[in-house]
Amino acid sequence: MKKKSLSKEDVLQLSKLAGLTLVDDEIVKYKTQLEETISYIENLNELATDNVSPSSSATFLKNVFFDDGEKNKRGLNLEEVFQNTQNKEGNCFKVKKIFGE
Amino acid sequence: MLLGKSVTEILALIKNKKISSKEVIDYFLKRIEKYNKKLNAYLTVNKSYKADKSKKIKVPIAVKDNFCTKGIRTTASSKVLANFIPPYESTVTKRLIDTSFFILGKTNMDAWAHGSSTETSDFGPTKNPWDLSRCPGGSSGGSAAAVSSYLAPAAIGSETAGSIRQPGSWSGVIGLKPTYGRVSRYGLIAMASSLDCPGPLTLTTEDAAFILKIIAGKDEFDATTAPNEVPDYVASLKKKKKFIIGITDEYLNGVDCEIKNAFYQLVEILEKLGHKIKKIKLLSPKYSISVYTIIQRAEVSSNLARYDGIRYGNDRTFFGSEAKRRIMLGTYVLSYGYYDAYYKKAQKVRTLIIEDFKKVFKEVDMILAPTTPIPALKLGEFEKYPFFGEMMDVLNEPAAIAGICAISFPFGLTKKENLPIGLQLMGRWFEEENILNLTHQIEKETDFLGVIKKGVKNYPD
Repeated sequence: MKKKSLSKEDVLQLSKLAGLTLVDDEIVKYKTQLEETISYIENLNELATDNVSPSSSATFLKNVFFDDGEKNKRGLNLEEVFQNTQNKEGNCFKVKKIFGE
Repeated sequence: MLLGKSVTEILALIKNKKISSKEVIDYFLKRIEKYNKKLNAYLTVNKSYKADKSKKIKVPIAVKDNFCTKGIRTTASSKVLANFIPPYESTVTKRLIDTSFFILGKTNMDAWAHGSSTETSDFGPTKNPWDLSRCPGGSSGGSAAAVSSYLAPAAIGSETAGSIRQPGSWSGVIGLKPTYGRVSRYGLIAMASSLDCPGPLTLTTEDAAFILKIIAGKDEFDATTAPNEVPDYVASLKKKKKFIIGITDEYLNGVDCEIKNAFYQLVEILEKLGHKIKKIKLLSPKYSISVYTIIQRAEVSSNLARYDGIRYGNDRTFFGSEAKRRIMLGTYVLSYGYYDAYYKKAQKVRTLIIEDFKKVFKEVDMILAPTTPIPALKLGEFEKYPFFGEMMDVLNEPAAIAGICAISFPFGLTKKENLPIGLQLMGRWFEEENILNLTHQIEKETDFLGVIKKGVKNYPD
């Protein structure tokens, strides 16, 4: 098995993309574990797939669309929408500023 | 009077006024009170049953804690959702409630269903009812343990790749993974959306057929549900069908001797019953592990991106170590420059695996194999190997990747440690009828070598 390696920076970049905050121990741990997994999955290269088309699912599905103007039966009322949050102001969710002051 | 009775039997008792729904529900609540501390199968117990005026018949059922249940806390065993009360009902639980079920409680699982041991739960592991120092399997470990110890007459689990069959096998009950798209995923907390399948864990084949009939079918809220008609799975159990059953060495490599012996013992019985056994060749399951690892992590990283703690739940610092590891790998395989090498490659190999099964299913009606390479592991053993869980599901992942249906059932106990052995049948797409039919024949002929009944007896009233 060929060993793939990742740098500490790679791991930090991944955690940034994924919106996760890691402590130092975790960086070291995940680096080793990700390398191990990435090395294992290389075995797929033993299989020739040049003329194979990818499958996104196994049961031959087609896209399904709702008709325009159809009533959305899954809608929630405002009370239901906000029942699980503490970040509420009026009928809005409070979020952190994306742009600077 | 009730101990060990199946859902179908309890329903008959209530219909014949031998017992009331309330008495049945109280009976199970009492058992949960007595044994749940020891097993940690339930995270939430629903004590809200009140007999209404309609006197509608209600049989209790346990539901894995990743199905949204309106007004009942749903955590997916993660602290991110520690206080989440769903404002809507999943299709599976809605269909159960609308017929004749009462949601008795929500069962423990690997957090976000990431695992094969129920140890990654943020609320502590579930114990295997057969040996409290061991794992029940996972991720539907709480559901499997609840049925095995008769803290519920049946349970709902969900499987992405092994999460119903593997805990079914380790805990000594029946676990049915339907064809992808047979049962709606609406309201099931998404793990890997292209693979997730809800299904039942039960004491009898008849109950598995009965519950599948209720939860299966097209759902306007899940566009991936199939329009195929839902057959009467219970009625078709009675047909004495003869099948051609494939067996393959690829699924016996590295499998524990006692499990292999059970496998060959069943092969003999099936021949005696008039079925044909045929040797087949399938792709090595090791490729399914890689395909699964890539596709599952990729879809996990995308599905778990929604947990920002703004609209509901806690923020991303509440993710446990396993979820973080999976999100990180998923992010890696989907990131710029790697997408073709990993995700697309895995999607192509998924095509190869589907084609492989299609070819084999021209020769045989179904495939018989062990469910797991070894019986239940000790608590803590998984943690030593980050990739180990996948190895425990090596025999389950091909069917999951191909989206076909499969059922695991107990077949004997290991001699040394007295642990349940599980075998499985994998059938063609949407042919649940056939794998249920053969499992029923096996049950009638062998009673699964007494495993299920022994399991229940370990937990007297």
